[in-house]
Amino acid sequence: MSAVEHSHDQSNQEIKYSTCYMCACRCGIKVTIENNQVRFIQGNRNHPINKGVLCAKGSAGIMKQCSPARLRSPLLRKPGTERGAGEFVEISWEQALDMLTERLAHIRATDPNKFAFFTGRDQMQALSRLFAEQFGTLNWSAHGGFCSVNMAAAGLYTLGYAFWEFGDPDWDRTKYFMLWGVAEDHNSNPMKIGIEKLKSRGGKFVGINPARTGYQAVADEWVPIRPGTDAVLALSMIHVLLSRELFDWDFLIRYTNAPFLVVQTPGQKGDGLIYRDEAGHPLAWDLKREAFVNGLDAACHPALFGEHKTPDGRTVKTVMTLLAERYLDERFAPENAAKVCGIPASTIERLALEMAHVAFKETIEIAVEWTDWAGRKHDKFIGRPVSMHAMRGVSAHSNGFQAARAIHFLQILLGTIDCPGGFRAKAPYPRPVPSPGKPAKHSAPNTPLNAHPLGFPTAPEDLVVDDDGQPLRIDKAYSWEAPLANHGLMHMVITNAVNADPYPIDTLLFFMANMAWNSSMNTANIQDMLRAKRPDGEYKIPFLVVVDAFHSETVHFADLVLPDTTYLERYDAISLLDRPISEPDAVCDSIRHPLLALDRNVRPWQEVLVELGARLKLPVFTKPDGTPKYQGYKDFITYYEREPGIGFLAGYRGVDGSKSLRGEPNPEQWERYIENQGFFQYHLPKDIRYLRFANKGYLEFATEAGFLKSPEPIVIELYSEAIQKFRLAGLGLYDGPMPKERVDQERLATYFDPLPDYYEPLEQQRVDKTEYPFFAVNQRPMMMYHSWDSQNAWLRQIIAQNHLYMNRARGESLGFQDEDWVWVESHNGKIRVQLRLIEGCQEDTVWTWNAIGKQSGTWGLKPDAPEATQGFLMNHLISELLPEKAGERRITNSDPITGQAAWYDLRVKVTRAAPGEEGVWPTFANVPPLPGAAPKPDVLRYNTRAKA
Amino acid sequence: MRLGLVIDLDTCVGCHACATACKEWNTSSITAPLTDYEPYGKEPSGVWFNRVRHYEIGDYPNNKTINFPMSCMHCENAECVTVCPTGASYKRPEDGIVLIDQDKCMGCNYCSWACPYGARELDRVSGTMKKCTLCVDRIYDETLPEEERQPACVLACPAHARLFGDLDDPESVTSRAVRNRGGYPLMPELNYNPTNQYLPPRTRPAISTSDLPRGSLARKVKEWVNRVIER
Amino acid sequence: MNPSLAVIFLTLFSGAGFGLMAMVAVVNDFAIDGALSPLRTAILVALALLLVTMGMVSSTAHLANPKNAWRAFTRWRTSWLAREGVFAVLFYPLAIAYLGWVFFMNNDRDGVALLLGNVTALVGLVTIFCQGMIYACLRTIRQWHTPLVPANFYALGLAAGMTVLATSRLLAHRHDLAMVSIACSLLVAAAVMKAIYYFWIGAPSGTTLQTATGFTGGRVRLLDQGHTFGTFLTHEFSNCIGPRRALRFKIAVYVLGFLAPIAILLAAAHAAIGLAVLLAPLLAFIGIGLERYLFFVEAQHVVNLYHGRMPGPLPQMHPALRATAENKAPAGKRRLVPSYDER
Repeated sequence: MSAVEHSHDQSNQEIKYSTCYMCACRCGIKVTIENNQVRFIQGNRNHPINKGVLCAKGSAGIMKQCSPARLRSPLLRKPGTERGAGEFVEISWEQALDMLTERLAHIRATDPNKFAFFTGRDQMQALSRLFAEQFGTLNWSAHGGFCSVNMAAAGLYTLGYAFWEFGDPDWDRTKYFMLWGVAEDHNSNPMKIGIEKLKSRGGKFVGINPARTGYQAVADEWVPIRPGTDAVLALSMIHVLLSRELFDWDFLIRYTNAPFLVVQTPGQKGDGLIYRDEAGHPLAWDLKREAFVNGLDAACHPALFGEHKTPDGRTVKTVMTLLAERYLDERFAPENAAKVCGIPASTIERLALEMAHVAFKETIEIAVEWTDWAGRKHDKFIGRPVSMHAMRGVSAHSNGFQAARAIHFLQILLGTIDCPGGFRAKAPYPRPVPSPGKPAKHSAPNTPLNAHPLGFPTAPEDLVVDDDGQPLRIDKAYSWEAPLANHGLMHMVITNAVNADPYPIDTLLFFMANMAWNSSMNTANIQDMLRAKRPDGEYKIPFLVVVDAFHSETVHFADLVLPDTTYLERYDAISLLDRPISEPDAVCDSIRHPLLALDRNVRPWQEVLVELGARLKLPVFTKPDGTPKYQGYKDFITYYEREPGIGFLAGYRGVDGSKSLRGEPNPEQWERYIENQGFFQYHLPKDIRYLRFANKGYLEFATEAGFLKSPEPIVIELYSEAIQKFRLAGLGLYDGPMPKERVDQERLATYFDPLPDYYEPLEQQRVDKTEYPFFAVNQRPMMMYHSWDSQNAWLRQIIAQNHLYMNRARGESLGFQDEDWVWVESHNGKIRVQLRLIEGCQEDTVWTWNAIGKQSGTWGLKPDAPEATQGFLMNHLISELLPEKAGERRITNSDPITGQAAWYDLRVKVTRAAPGEEGVWPTFANVPPLPGAAPKPDVLRYNTRAKA
Repeated sequence: MRLGLVIDLDTCVGCHACATACKEWNTSSITAPLTDYEPYGKEPSGVWFNRVRHYEIGDYPNNKTINFPMSCMHCENAECVTVCPTGASYKRPEDGIVLIDQDKCMGCNYCSWACPYGARELDRVSGTMKKCTLCVDRIYDETLPEEERQPACVLACPAHARLFGDLDDPESVTSRAVRNRGGYPLMPELNYNPTNQYLPPRTRPAISTSDLPRGSLARKVKEWVNRVIER
Repeated sequence: MNPSLAVIFLTLFSGAGFGLMAMVAVVNDFAIDGALSPLRTAILVALALLLVTMGMVSSTAHLANPKNAWRAFTRWRTSWLAREGVFAVLFYPLAIAYLGWVFFMNNDRDGVALLLGNVTALVGLVTIFCQGMIYACLRTIRQWHTPLVPANFYALGLAAGMTVLATSRLLAHRHDLAMVSIACSLLVAAAVMKAIYYFWIGAPSGTTLQTATGFTGGRVRLLDQGHTFGTFLTHEFSNCIGPRRALRFKIAVYVLGFLAPIAILLAAAHAAIGLAVLLAPLLAFIGIGLERYLFFVEAQHVVNLYHGRMPGPLPQMHPALRATAENKAPAGKRRLVPSYDER
């Protein structure tokens, strides 16, 4: 052996463990540092999320760390220059924080809502939310409103948990996995690990998606569906199951509200509400006693089906009866569903039956003694090994909430909820249905909010509107336009603020969100809005603060830029109070800590927030004497308690670090996390790992851990009474607030269906489908998903330009050829792009890779980078507002229930560009370099072993 | 001993994790660095040892997408070694790994012509040919935990679509996978006898649904017979 | 394959030089047309050395790391490239000794001269064979993997060398037909050999993207090559040429490389055309240079299959590669492959 081959001199190496932040997956990483540079980032084998593996983004973290796009110093828009001209001066942190403190203090003392704080893909929402709460502004949310709130809300209003962060397929046992609307997505590494496990066991993987890339590539069956019609497919499969009596009777009776009785008095107040006794208990019909009984009573034998007359003469039907009547309707027969979703009727029927076969004929059992909510002992868990996952492709439609609910219905009927082999919850979920906690409504000067800015309305009374029914939040979340906007509507903030609708604001702060580019619909207009001025010369959004680690397009529009660090340079808590990383079998959280010394004048945003909190004397961050309570973020995480014993980090609590989940602050907590490779996991005992919504042991454990307020069983809601209350408000039949405008009344009456149904996406209802024959969607490539830095020198070699993909046969029938330049036009605008014809595309759909296109000069790229000259955004075609309708105010292009941005409702026409018309259009002006910007080398020879 | 990789085309989702992990390890490894050209410019490009290509098999709607990673196959008949005039390219007798001695290579590209798999890439700055080393500086490194003595691509692969082992040992994880799954070499007609093998996508028997009850009272919900089940 | 000028010049000039040396030996061996004078022999051997040297020097421009070029002889046991180097280097002392003997002894007819001349010529011919085998031994490139390649190298080297030799005789006002006849015969033979080659490479190859990926059941199409821009592989291997353009090139090869030199030589043998006879070797070199260019661009490395190129004519090729293949600047922007000359 030659000496050269093995000379792996490790004398200058050091190994540290942390958590990846190249996307939102939050894998454990083992980082080898050599000569103060990153030598190697690999997956941490002991980490619950990724178990040693790592994706392309994770490995490319090295290139993030040496990106020339990293911001280097606080920046102030050069006085006298226009916003968006890109002229900045470097200022000190003292200057920057003084300026911001002064401004915010004034706002807080007058009208806190004039400060709007919206955060993008960050993983510290619990802290930023706490800051907003303490500040007293209602105007806070994260990016879920344009990401996946439909998924989250549908799950939380049905099961008490949802896809991705709140639940996972039981990868170790599932035998049939159905993936809806996901190609390369959230949950990156766990899903890849899981798919391999499933396939190696011989399980079947069915992919429902208009495009066949990424995970869909390895699907055993690809079901090319028309975008936005998932609900039809799911409900048609339910039709098949019902018509053959293929559903889990026991599960429905024991764990869901299927046997509860619903009042049937159409046109009258109270119609569609659950029939309750005087104490408010839901009533069911007991088959043995032949009487109405409390449906929550353990000893009853409720009828799943039936229609009865109440003593006062009203008709009541069980939820299951309503459900069966609805879905047995011919509308949902496979041959009729096929016409809508484009899937052959025989396929719909076969898929439904395959799942029924696996659920009911390939049942698995885990012999563990456990106790149900009523104290009854059982000797095993029964598993129905069918599982599902759904995400963006279902979520980003204006019918996505109901579609996601329909998918959950399928799971519930098959009894695959939190059972072995099914779709399992992850702590701190499940939560009660719907989740407790209402959104804050009242804001007052120098006063913290009395609740979280985001919450879960269950009735019109919970809306955040004034006495006239006008929105109180700048994004109009929890208004009649988006009553269950659990994640806010970040995509509407700029438009609403510029239109002073519902009111003007003063300071808008974006953290890690590229709202001037790919995170906004209608990008070009949004850029214009950011520059828009009032008649008096003041900007319509007077002060824009952008916090980011990189030179994004949005940084370019900032008045004040606060530079953040990278994920390898700071402390972070990935908290159970925030977006959990738990696994079905273990409660988990994790941390980051600085692995590399800072080489620029930047600060971690969480440090800045804690400092700002103290400067503004927000109660949580300040001692009674007015001095700062915490010495920075690390100290804050150690000592802050939301309630006694519950802090941001659940591990190594108690004075000596011996307590888990609940315990006094431990001064050495960070050190213990670092010793334990940056994460904490608490393995659930085997008897509380399944059926947790009704598992006494789990419910008690979760109450002790602070996940639940009390160990009451969680009843799965097939029928949503909360949603029915909004419908009644729309119908004018509600005892409480009701909308005044006709459009709101109609939307509530039409879309607030207590049982999920299919309706055509809202924008599509208003565009001419003959003129715009194609559905248009986009997705991010796997090696960039949720990674906001396609400037990455390695990843951009893989993809630095995007094309519009179209089905080959369809394209050829229209006379298109590969590489043709085409115009793609929607009701909102047009773009010129290059076409590629492929097989893996549903024939009525065109799609592209999202966020490849960049504005010239941003992201550390040279002006002639292909991302700027050849990449494009589909965003230009998408309007943040629905097409105008006479006599109606402009309405957000979002799900009418949750306010989820309806990115994927787009319809377009595609025409060949004229000869000579080549190159992408539109292109945007080059952004000048920032002061002190790092050089962009022509050749990169990264090598940590080279002597500098 | 014949060390090599087995690539599972049934589970490779085409995420490029292997390619990037390889780049990451090897840019500071024995043939360091793996130069990148125009990393922030007009035509970003660079030296990679492992590239993932994507193919479509068949016509819509019966098409399948195949993700296809390729790196050095460490051939038994390594013509790249045969043709190398300087002796820079060599195949180690003890484990079959094909390597390039950077101190001897004159950058004539001839070896790359002889390689049918596109495994060799010239570094324009060093002027030398570079290629997959099977992470020879990992797999024998006794300072690493035993389970990490694997090529970086294999460690990283989230879909476990890459197996590393001795293809001469019939009981190795690689040999067993090839035997059980019908693993095949690429372009056997060229007679290079590549060590690396590819596992074809699995075919699954149809799920029988004939054991399920036929249609029931379907259309008349009111007539469904309730079952007495305790809540 | 990338038609590197360095390699084109190497095989063109050194082939002609070795061919010239071989024909000098043959002419002197058989005293054709009364043999050459010692001075003319010396001049022609010097010219052969010059041509070989031009080729060799140009070849080093092809090396990315020429400081290791001295190692190129190490692997002569297995590598035709190393063997070429060994024989090319061996050629020099022999040719110089021959040149010296002829020049200083003023005798190209004695035993020593004949022995040295023939040995030198033989080494040159072996070098041509090695050059041919560099290409012919590659199983990865069907168009090269044939005995026709060394045969063509011989035919073209000898024809080019003889054209130079005949021209030199014509310039010396020796209007003898013997040399011209030999030159013309060699040119005709080379043309016929090349024609056989061109027909042979037209036959389809057995390896396709289906067999290369193992998916022989259905059509296989490239969806994405995994990198937006060029790589070393696309730079080195992706060149190709459309059939119509190739045909135009072949016509030029035949007109410039074979027909024109024959016509000029014959004309010069019958009439005084003065320095115009120099056009014969000049055009022959241009024609054979074009032939060598085609030799590279028509050669298709199997790795191109993985980039989506189908064997045979162009239309199946991946669009990203099509522009390069047709040798036109694609849409004004996309240069698929970064230029190595910018190094």
